[in-house]
Amino acid sequence: MMSLMKPDMQMDESFYKIEDIRQLTGNAFSIKLPKARFAFKAGQHISLGIVGGNQSREYSIYSGENDPNLEVLIKEVQNGYFTPQLRRLKVGRVLEIHGPFGKFGMEPELAAHGKFVFIASGTGIAPFRSIIRTYPTIDYTIIHGVRYSEEAYDRDQYDSKRYKLCTSRENKGDYYGRLTGYLKSCTFAPETHFDLCGNSDMIFDALEILKDKGFDRDQIHCEVYF
Amino acid sequence: MKYHLITLGCQMNIADSERVSSVLEGMGYTRTENEEDASLLGILACSVRQKPIDKVYNKIAQWNRWKNKRNLLTFVSGCLLPADKDKFLKTFDLIFPMSELGQLPDMIREYGVVTPAALKSRQPIMPKNEHIAGMWSIAPKHQSTYEAYVPIQNGCDKFCTFCAVPYTRGREVSRPSSDIIDEIRHLANQGYKSITLLGQNVNSYGLDKNGEEISFAELLRQIGEFGKISEHEFWVYFTSPHPEDMNREVIEVIASYDCLAKQIHLPMQSGDERVLIKMNRRHSMDKYRRIVEDIRELIPQATLFTDIIVGFTGEGEAEFQNTVAAFEEFKFNMAYIAMYSPRPGAASFRWEDEVSSEDKKDRLFRLSQVLKFYSNENNQFYLEKTMRVLINGTDRKTGFSTGVTEGKIIVRLDKHDHSLMGQLVNVKITSATFLSMSGEVV
Repeated sequence: MMSLMKPDMQMDESFYKIEDIRQLTGNAFSIKLPKARFAFKAGQHISLGIVGGNQSREYSIYSGENDPNLEVLIKEVQNGYFTPQLRRLKVGRVLEIHGPFGKFGMEPELAAHGKFVFIASGTGIAPFRSIIRTYPTIDYTIIHGVRYSEEAYDRDQYDSKRYKLCTSRENKGDYYGRLTGYLKSCTFAPETHFDLCGNSDMIFDALEILKDKGFDRDQIHCEVYF
Repeated sequence: MKYHLITLGCQMNIADSERVSSVLEGMGYTRTENEEDASLLGILACSVRQKPIDKVYNKIAQWNRWKNKRNLLTFVSGCLLPADKDKFLKTFDLIFPMSELGQLPDMIREYGVVTPAALKSRQPIMPKNEHIAGMWSIAPKHQSTYEAYVPIQNGCDKFCTFCAVPYTRGREVSRPSSDIIDEIRHLANQGYKSITLLGQNVNSYGLDKNGEEISFAELLRQIGEFGKISEHEFWVYFTSPHPEDMNREVIEVIASYDCLAKQIHLPMQSGDERVLIKMNRRHSMDKYRRIVEDIRELIPQATLFTDIIVGFTGEGEAEFQNTVAAFEEFKFNMAYIAMYSPRPGAASFRWEDEVSSEDKKDRLFRLSQVLKFYSNENNQFYLEKTMRVLINGTDRKTGFSTGVTEGKIIVRLDKHDHSLMGQLVNVKITSATFLSMSGEVV
C-alpha cells in the first residue's frame, strides 16, 4: 500500500550528535551533547529520544546554563526499555532533544539571595549540579541519598562542606541510612528554600518531615523522577 | 466527492475536526455521515485511552477491506503516539499532524508521489508545533450554530505520568491572542451562546511566549471587555486549567465579567498527596484548596467540576479515602471519574498496574455515590429559582427539550419545543436531583 507521511520537521535544531560519554559508575553515565540551542534555566528538564526510535524520556539537564556542552545524567535501569538503548550508544550517534520544560528552574534573583537545601536521591542530583554550575556563589547544602558511595556522582565538583552523602547500603558516607533519616536530624534556618528531586516516595517522605519541622509548602519545590 | 470524518476523544479533537471539515469542503468535498457513501475517509484519533486507538485499528482494517471493491483514500490525524504512527503509516494512505492541516489539499492531490521510506527517518518523536498557527488560521466549519470551541493553545509541557499528550501533541504553543479575540467576536456576532476556550493547560496560556503574549487572566479580561460592549448574550468557558498555573487573578477576572461563565472545571485527579506526587501533578492539596477557597470567596455562585482517576498505581484504600474526603470538602457539582488504565507512551505504563479491576470498579462506584450526594445537595439550592438555560438537546426517554445552566447543570424541560433549540431562555426549576434538574420555561 502506498502511504504518504507528511513530515512536520526537517533535520534541524532538535538533533544533537553525542560528543562524549562519561562513565561514572558501573551503570551510570553522562552524555555530552553540543551546547544547547535553546535558552534554559538551570533545574529544567528536556525530552530525549534516539533518532530512529519512537520513544523519548525526560531528563534533567546536568550541565550549567553557560557550559560548553548540554549534558544529561543517566542510570541504566536493569531490564528497562530505554536506558539500555542509551547505554549502547556511541559517540557520534544522534539524539532528538526537545525542551526545555518545567518550572524547577532557578531564578537568578533568588539564587543570588536565597538560602537553599537541595535534597536529591540518586540521579536526582542532576538539576542541582546544573544550578550550582550556573550560580557558583549560591548558598546551598546538598543532601544526597544513594545506596552506595560510588553513586555520589561528580562529588568532587561540590564544596565538601556543603555536600552531605547519605548511603543506605554501606557505611561510607556522611550518614549511614536513608536521607530522610538524616533530614529528621537536621535543623534549618526558617527562611530556607528546599528543592527536592528524586523518586516520588522520597519526595513525599521528605515533604512530610519538612512540614513537621514547620516549613511552609511554598518554601518547598519538588521535581519527581519517574 | 464525499468525505466521512470520525472524531474521537476530547473537545480539542472536535475543534480540530471543524477545521478539517473546513479544508475538505473548501476542496469541494461534501460531508456524509454514512461512511459507505464516502470516497475520503478520515479519523481524528485520541491516544488518551486505549479504547479509541483500538477503534482506529478496527476501522482502518474495515476500510482497507472496502478498497478491494472501490477507490478510497484514508487519512488519520489527531493525537497519535509515535508507536501508533509507525503502524498507521502502513495502513492509512495519509497521516499528518494537525499543524500541517493547511497542506492537506496538496497531500491529497499529490497522493502517491512520496514514499514512506523517504520520509520515515524524518518522523519526529515529539511533534513540533511551530506551524500550528497555520492550522489555527483555517476558519472552522462549526457543527453547531450555538456552541463552539476555540483552541487557544496546543500541546502540553506538564508530563503527568498517566498521560501521553506531551508525546502526541508536542510542546505547549499559544495561539495569538488577537486571533482568539477575533474568533470570539465573530462567534458572538453570529449568535453563538456557548464558547469554550480549549487547550491542554489553558491557564498556562502565553507562558511559552516569554512575555511576548498576554497572560491567561489578561486574555479573559479582554474577552470580558468585549462581552461588556457586545449586544449579544453569550457564555465563555475554558477547559482544562491546571491547578499549578491557576491563580487568584484569573478568578477575580471571571468574577468581574458577566460573559465569563461561572463554571470552573479544575482537574484534581486525586485527593491524596502521595498519589499526586506519583502522578507528577505538580500541585499539592494545599494549593488546590487555596484555589477552591478563592473561587468560593470571589464567585460563590460558581459551579465546580473536576476530573478524577481512581485506582492509579500506588493508590491503596487509605489514599482513596483522601479523595473521598476531598469530595466531601469541595462538594463538587460534577466530576468525571475514570478508572485508571495504563496508556502506552505514558510514564506510568512502565509501572505495574497494581490495583485490581474489581477495586477500581468499587472505588468508582463509591466515589460516584459521594458525588451524587453533593450534586443533589447543590442542586436543591436552585429549587424554585429562575435560571438562564441554553437549550441544546432532547431527552432520549421523554423527547422533551434539555439544556444547561451557565454552571453547566443539566436541566430537563417539561415539553419539547424545537424553536427553543440554541436559545437562552429563563427556566424555573421545579425539581432537582443529583446531576440534573427539571423546570419550565417562564
